[in-house]
Amino acid sequence: MTPLHFEELYQAEWQELDAQVKLILAGRNDSHDRVPIQGERVAALYRRACEHFALARARSYPRYLLDRLEKLTSDAHQVIYQRREFGIHRIRQAVLYDFPRAVRAHAAYVWLSAALFFVPAVLVGWLVYKNPDLVLSVVDANTAAEFEEMYSDAADSIGSRRDVNSDWVMFGYYILNNVGVAFQCFAGGLVFGIGSIVFIVLNGVLGGAVAGYLTERGLGETFWSFVVTHAAFELTAIILAGAAGLRLGHALVAPGRNTRLQSLVNAARESIVIVYGLTVMLFIAAAIEGFWSSARWMPLTMKYTVAALCWIGVLAYLSLQGRRAR
Amino acid sequence: MLDSSVAAETPEGILLELRPAGLSARFCAFFIDELIKWAITYAAAFVFGILASVLGGMGVAFWFIFVFVLNWFYPVAFELGRAGATPGKRAMGLKVVMDNGLPITPAASLTRNLLRVADFLPFLYASAAVSMLLRADAKRLGDIAAATLVVHQRRTAPKATLDMVVPLSPVRPLAPRDQSAVIALAARAPTLTIERLNELAALAAPIQGDESRPEADVTRRVLGVAQWLLGRRA
Repeated sequence: MTPLHFEELYQAEWQELDAQVKLILAGRNDSHDRVPIQGERVAALYRRACEHFALARARSYPRYLLDRLEKLTSDAHQVIYQRREFGIHRIRQAVLYDFPRAVRAHAAYVWLSAALFFVPAVLVGWLVYKNPDLVLSVVDANTAAEFEEMYSDAADSIGSRRDVNSDWVMFGYYILNNVGVAFQCFAGGLVFGIGSIVFIVLNGVLGGAVAGYLTERGLGETFWSFVVTHAAFELTAIILAGAAGLRLGHALVAPGRNTRLQSLVNAARESIVIVYGLTVMLFIAAAIEGFWSSARWMPLTMKYTVAALCWIGVLAYLSLQGRRAR
Repeated sequence: MLDSSVAAETPEGILLELRPAGLSARFCAFFIDELIKWAITYAAAFVFGILASVLGGMGVAFWFIFVFVLNWFYPVAFELGRAGATPGKRAMGLKVVMDNGLPITPAASLTRNLLRVADFLPFLYASAAVSMLLRADAKRLGDIAAATLVVHQRRTAPKATLDMVVPLSPVRPLAPRDQSAVIALAARAPTLTIERLNELAALAAPIQGDESRPEADVTRRVLGVAQWLLGRRA
């Protein structure tokens, strides 16, 4: 059979398939005056086109014919095998099951990440508390003074810089800053986990130093009442980001029976679920930090009660939610 | 192999050829995207500046959130769109797909774009550049982890026309490879100079036993055979 004869014989089927694929791609939005798409027909035509493509290739038909068939089959392939991952159902599924389950599946990494954060934080915090001058080896004098000013009794809203004293501004700033930090903790895992470790330890050291310094200065009450509520979301999220990064690093360093590449791909696919979740947690943290934590008029008992509820809620959600079969 | 092409097998048992895009094409795409992001940022700064003077802190908050979303989710939003590519990539004729040639999934798009941070290390996307240069499929680190591939969009070859050439049956049976070589030459003929076409056609002279004929004659006869092989008859 000559190429032209082949083309002439099956042309009509290819055109029909092409038209149907175009319809499927384009006609998702406008439901009226649309030719109904016949799924069975598309599948049958697609399989036929695949056969034709294989035949054409085996017979070394001219390039233009192969290109045409390859384009046709690959377009249809994309339409037939595409996965839909959007929709309310998927989001509900992720919140109720996927995220907390992914966190528990990475429990060892989460504990390690928590240790990497808290051990340096407590150690540095204690050292700075004993010897406040040490804070200067972590941050420079201006920053230390700035922190002191932020939490001083004179500030009308806690935890914000003087020149931008609006809750909304801080809300936006926290999102920009904190989510960025979390994403870095995750991505740092690709450098054999070293990046994640460095980022978490640095954050721990910085947090510990500031906490120790301010407590020593007698601003402890203002500071702790400010951070404790949103820390339930923010600290947890940063630690989870570190855990996801550690997972990537571990997959690269010790791939087990897989190739290093396959191991990394698996690790990324499983740990990205954690990143979805922690992004949402950081948005919640930013809202609390911007509007609730900074409110000075709130009685302290109220703040601590809400903080305790937040901590219990977050920890319970991560450790219990979705344990039963769906 | 010098050719950088990746074959993705479908469940129907056919191989789809993917052509990974190299460093230069992707750098151009990246550069265009950066320019677009700058332009958007400046335009938005203007709008949010006005908004901030009306709404106060809320306007600034929207500005921060806007910058955050633009920086992290600009590529994700476009890659999940119908084109499967950011405007820069589309301008360069590139597209992001999964390793198996399917459209990119949201998880993969998010993975490859968050891991951009690692690709940036230690400075100016050095890791990404090294990774792309070392690998035949030109993946950066984010692509490796997300199992994605940046490919050139398909361009279809021109159909061999040359209707004015008289079809000529070959004097002896030709192997499929030879047939396709002769047809490919005919397809390229309009883009070649006469001299080059004659040179190439001379290589195919043995199929007609034409070695002794004059150059132009050989070319006409080889193209005639191509017409005949395509299926045209006098």
